Amino acid sequence: MNRLCKSLVLITALALLMTGAVIAQDDIVIDFYFPSATANDAEGIFQRYADTFEERNEGISINPVFTGSYTDTRNTILTELQGGGAGPDVAVMLSIDLYSFAEEGYIVPAQGFIDAMDDGGAYINDFFPSLMANGVDDMGNVWSIPFQRSTPILYYNADLLAEAGYDSPPTNNAELVEIAQALTTDDRDGLLVPVAGGFPIWMYQSFAIAYGRNIVSDDPTEVYFNTPEAVAAVEFVRSLGTDLGVGPAGGAAWGDTPVAFLAGQAAMIYHTTGNLSRILDGADFEVGVWYLPSGPAGDDGAGYGSPTGGGNLYIFDDGSKSDAELDAIWKWVMFLSSPEIQADWGATTGYIAANATAWETEPLASRAMEYPQYGVARDQLQHADKEFSSYATITIQGIINKTLESILTGESEDAQAAMDEAQAQIDGILAEYK
Amino acid sequence: MRLRSQRKPLVSYLQPYLLIAPTLILVLMFNVVPAINTVRDSLYKPARGLNAAGKPPEFVGAENFRDLFDESHYLGARFLRTFRNTIVFALATVIIGVPLGLLLALLLNQKQPLLGLWRFAVFYPSLLPLIGAASIWSFIFSDSIGLANAVLKSLGHPGLNWLGDRNLVLLSVIVVNIWKQAGYFMIFFLAGLQNIPRDIYESASLDGASDAQQFVALTMPLLRRTLLFVIVIAFIFAFQTVEQLQALGEGGPNDSANLLLYLIFQNISERRNWGYVNAMTIVLIGVVLTFTLSNFLLFERDESN
Repeated sequence: MNRLCKSLVLITALALLMTGAVIAQDDIVIDFYFPSATANDAEGIFQRYADTFEERNEGISINPVFTGSYTDTRNTILTELQGGGAGPDVAVMLSIDLYSFAEEGYIVPAQGFIDAMDDGGAYINDFFPSLMANGVDDMGNVWSIPFQRSTPILYYNADLLAEAGYDSPPTNNAELVEIAQALTTDDRDGLLVPVAGGFPIWMYQSFAIAYGRNIVSDDPTEVYFNTPEAVAAVEFVRSLGTDLGVGPAGGAAWGDTPVAFLAGQAAMIYHTTGNLSRILDGADFEVGVWYLPSGPAGDDGAGYGSPTGGGNLYIFDDGSKSDAELDAIWKWVMFLSSPEIQADWGATTGYIAANATAWETEPLASRAMEYPQYGVARDQLQHADKEFSSYATITIQGIINKTLESILTGESEDAQAAMDEAQAQIDGILAEYK
Repeated sequence: MRLRSQRKPLVSYLQPYLLIAPTLILVLMFNVVPAINTVRDSLYKPARGLNAAGKPPEFVGAENFRDLFDESHYLGARFLRTFRNTIVFALATVIIGVPLGLLLALLLNQKQPLLGLWRFAVFYPSLLPLIGAASIWSFIFSDSIGLANAVLKSLGHPGLNWLGDRNLVLLSVIVVNIWKQAGYFMIFFLAGLQNIPRDIYESASLDGASDAQQFVALTMPLLRRTLLFVIVIAFIFAFQTVEQLQALGEGGPNDSANLLLYLIFQNISERRNWGYVNAMTIVLIGVVLTFTLSNFLLFERDESN
């Protein structure tokens, strides 16, 4: 065993020496892990960003590592760190992963770096406030920086709506139901809401917000899953597939939804802005995009609701990194979140560029001019709210997803009872954190 | 001469151990030691709550197991449902898939035109990467754009929500599994059938035994060992199923088609659930081991009689 260890050390040392021959000896190397949730060539794009960054920053090398889906990325990082490995220096992970990683002591807040900046306030204030919500803890410390963000929006087939005599998209739930029913035929769904297939919570949250109360707050030890608003919201979603009959019972599957929309088999869909470029490029009809219709909370804007989603930049340090290393890491984070890169990333992928200045920067500025749909996604951000996140996020999210599925598929007829039971389980878990 | 003759016994004594050493070391490192760790860890609960990072886990005895069998516990309800699904899934694979494999083997053991092509066609699904094949099935089962519903609709049926209907989704996963495995089982039966000497059948025919009698009295007893082997691997495969679920609805709405190993995988990422994950693994290993051993004992006893 000892000899095995020794030879392993020897091989590693040799490998390091060999890489050392390529990278200048005193270069700081930043391991950057990133997932991809879109069909774009993320590896190529990040390599381009890394090259640009290295040209401008002598002595820092970026090592971009593609780590699969968001889940794969999280699991890869957890496996490395829990196994005693070094893990990444910077990674793109879901904005809701904050407490899971903070809890384990793997990440450090960005707040310290921001405070040390001359114009830290201006840097942070340029981000859309709703995109900051999931990156800030209950004490107001900024932990993670928005990078590839998205929200659900309403896509509608403008040609079909016009045929039926509707010149504009629905702006509230009553209009949504009316138009959806008018456009439902034997082989076409009026409205698909992708709440089937394992992850209903995100879409469901937009209804909960539209009904007047999000299921989370700024306090990571509180979840509001059995409020009257939360119950009414899920009952509305369920009725779309039952009484109202504008889509399949139990909801549509995530991946099928844009496919059905592009094939003309769905007149309207709720889906992520992350698919905006793909849908605009793939449609042979006029694609309309609008805010998710307002719920009973009010048409004055209070009833518009959508959770934010997507990935943030996280900084990993167990306290062993030198000031020079941390300085280099922060430079890379600043670079990726700069208007210059956000404008490029947003225009290439369809993610919502996270800072206001990026929208005045090329190539995004002209892309948004050509396709006003991009601007709708951005403007909806003023009505967006925090995505679900708490302590023990993954476990609690699992409880909520399972409960929603059992209500939406009709297994639990009494939504209130099912949500009360889930709330009790959630409270039991969160009690450990109070 | 004398020296050599003294050395020889030592070498021949060590030789078998040296030969099995590589396998033994690998089995110890990757099977035995992790299994022992799993048993130990299933009796502990990771530290939870604020500032839990770095704190040692707490010994809780059988509490993890008690929680798993508690319907009101957040993981217990999921575990019990998934456990039932796994048993149904395994039994369906064995009861339908194994006889189907045998039937295919009997059909394709006869001389007929294009025999190679038929055999290849039946065996082909087992050559496909499971995740790819299951992804294709997920399109077939798709609610609005799927082939299955297109066929149903052409027959005047409104179509079924194969992966969305909680009462249907486990069946859909079973169908894919049987499609995938039957051809694989067939290969073993085919090999078994071809090991049976032809002349036994010839003398049976001369004695006036019908095809059915030959099957019951000759084929089945002589295929006994193959059958045992196929049933055991069918059962173990069923308990190892993960890939299909990843492509076919990730366990269905509210775990209506979830299986044990996938549930374990789904709960690995948060440290707080590690005790449960280990306890579930123990249950999984326990069931597979009990089944496999009892099968062997049963058949071995039969053989010796």
